[in-house]
Amino acid sequence: MVKLIGQFVSCCRAAGLRVSTSEVLDSLKQLQLIDPTDELQFRALLRANFAKSLRELKHFDRLYHLFFHEMRINAGDMQQAASQIDQIRKATDLLREKPHDNPVYDAVVDFLAGNPMPLLAEMRRIHSESDDSTSPARFNFGPLASRFNVLLQINAAATTAAALLENNDLELDSKSRRDLAAHFDERIEAARSILMYEPRPGDTGTRKVKTYEQRLKDLGEKAFSSFTREEVEEMREAIDKLVRKLKNIVSRRFAVRDRGNLDVKKTLRASAKYDGVPLDIKYRRKTMRKSRIVTLCDVSGSVWAAARFMLNLLYSLQDCFDKVSSFVFIDQLTEVTGIFEEHDISEATRIVMEEADVHYDAPTDYGETLRNFKKNYMELLTKKTTLIIVGDGRSNYMSPEDAILGDIRDRCRRVIWLNPEPENLWGTGDSEIKAYTHHCHEVRPCRNVNQLVTFIEELVL
Amino acid sequence: MAYKTVTDVEQKLIEAGYIPSREIATVIFLAQATQKPVLIEGPAGVGKTELAKAVARSLDRELIRLQCYEGLDEAKALYEWEYAKQLLYTQMVKDRINDIIGATATLIEAVDQIAAQEDAFFSDRFIQPRPLLQAISSEKPVVLLLDEVDKSDPEFEAFLLELLSDFQVSIPELGTRKAIKIPFVLLTSNNYRDMSDALKRRCVHLYIDYPARDTEIAIVRLKIPDIEETLCAVLVDSIRRIRTLDLKKSPSISETLDWAQSLLALQIHELTPEVVSETLNVICKYQMDLEKVRKNMNRVIA
Repeated sequence: MVKLIGQFVSCCRAAGLRVSTSEVLDSLKQLQLIDPTDELQFRALLRANFAKSLRELKHFDRLYHLFFHEMRINAGDMQQAASQIDQIRKATDLLREKPHDNPVYDAVVDFLAGNPMPLLAEMRRIHSESDDSTSPARFNFGPLASRFNVLLQINAAATTAAALLENNDLELDSKSRRDLAAHFDERIEAARSILMYEPRPGDTGTRKVKTYEQRLKDLGEKAFSSFTREEVEEMREAIDKLVRKLKNIVSRRFAVRDRGNLDVKKTLRASAKYDGVPLDIKYRRKTMRKSRIVTLCDVSGSVWAAARFMLNLLYSLQDCFDKVSSFVFIDQLTEVTGIFEEHDISEATRIVMEEADVHYDAPTDYGETLRNFKKNYMELLTKKTTLIIVGDGRSNYMSPEDAILGDIRDRCRRVIWLNPEPENLWGTGDSEIKAYTHHCHEVRPCRNVNQLVTFIEELVL
Repeated sequence: MAYKTVTDVEQKLIEAGYIPSREIATVIFLAQATQKPVLIEGPAGVGKTELAKAVARSLDRELIRLQCYEGLDEAKALYEWEYAKQLLYTQMVKDRINDIIGATATLIEAVDQIAAQEDAFFSDRFIQPRPLLQAISSEKPVVLLLDEVDKSDPEFEAFLLELLSDFQVSIPELGTRKAIKIPFVLLTSNNYRDMSDALKRRCVHLYIDYPARDTEIAIVRLKIPDIEETLCAVLVDSIRRIRTLDLKKSPSISETLDWAQSLLALQIHELTPEVVSETLNVICKYQMDLEKVRKNMNRVIA
């Protein structure tokens, strides 16, 4: 039993489940207390000790099933199989003698005979092969073809086994023939389910090229404009995680707000209760500052990719701010606050792209946008407001109206410009970013997720 | 009283009015046998707190409950000095001070004399025990429930580590207190945030999910014995179907019970779309969910 648990533990560890030595010891100790032949109890015991969060539970269930059901013959079958062992061996020997030229066939026959290792090794090879491909165009023909080969061999083995039993080459009576057939069917079914199992992302047991964190870090360094659709989704998950972390930090900050300076008045009042001795000390509460955010996003071409991520982050963190108002522009300003408040983030970005009143074919005009903002929305800006502009500052040689940005700066707390262009291109051609720079409190490059994340962290904290 | 086997746990919990799955019974049994705390996770309303209460009832122990929240600190969880009482005593024994320092010649000697009496004021007499200290210093073994431990601050979680692994706490003025009888500790969490690995290591983990159909029917019939058998089955089936909809807050067992109770109060014997629609407020706690269930009414009532 100890050996079995030891094997299972190393399987779990290989698959990325963190099982500590003390947990193994605990479970071994506990095994003596329960009835391990009751599978429900046995499973509950391992589950309680090895999988200690909701996320790990699913992983554990999968591993458990794989280890104790697919790899091994069930306890009940074990006895039956023991009586059949000679017949199974004879049958598989016969199967092996059939003319064939495929090593996978041998693996499948081994699996039928109760030795799963060669087949598993083959599956591992296929899974890891799909990751090793370094060619830029990723086709999955290679792994598909190998899988197909395995499927064919399983089928071939199944047919041969069936034929073998049909012709009664082993000269068995009808009952043991039926038993043997049932046993083979079960194993073939198990082999198929192993074949069908798709490794999931983050399923480190079968896929081990780069750790998940490393991959996210690499993605974080990638420019927004070169994201593929899948990477956008992946990044969104990473952002969700980040948002949760930030919210945690912020809530903790709210928790310390009670510990401010000594409030003399209140302390004296409370001390009256204790004969003038200041036992109960009162503190002044720190009031937390929540800022208002106004964003202006250029949605032309490549800038939109950056703006989209930023809006995603800002709206996920809405509780940390007093209010977030957002505008998009190309040649004129469109308010999209409502869209983002009513819909969830992916839906909202879709609406902005497809339905909102934005002229996507017009040339970008920063001057007109600023004039428009000054005329209609100046009252949004107060001394609590942070204005964030996302854009490359390329105004197609039209008037930049940078003086208006100066007026805006006077009315709000901070003006921050995020530029998704590489810094060495700033000020070249029709880029007016240099003209805007001296009206901003801060101009920062924002080419990838990591830069964006640093910015948002500074903004929130 | 103690549990002897897993089946014994099952029986005793059922007697205490809680229907456990085999997994729950196994974990509870193991936790008791190895004197480890249980960390219970699961959606709201599946009976995490109820399990703790049932354990206390079935073991015939007192239940000490500590509701965790953000900002909970040692003073509220462990102990606090009773300043007012200390002060009052100081006032009353003021006259005696002269007796102590009367014989001393110098100020230093006087201070030494008073310092020798310090223990009188930092003793058990002036300590106000909060739930954790109560649980540890109780003469009889108790059941200690730390409810919604995920809501507490990480600092408090770190503080719990000492308590959960060694069943002892440190009070600076008095030294380390060891548990007289080791309490049965249960922690519940709603997955508001992840608990630290260190805490998880010290606990046996139990995840309670929505129960299987038959278990749920048994629970409803146990808690509300007056309900008709057929209605109960239909009710549980529709609740289970509602759970398959993508709701903001899926109805859990407590909602099932509330619903059954209200149907009983309204004297309804048959579940029709109208009835469901009218009583939906009991099950769905968000307007959005309410509308979604109404829209999918034909799926709910098969």
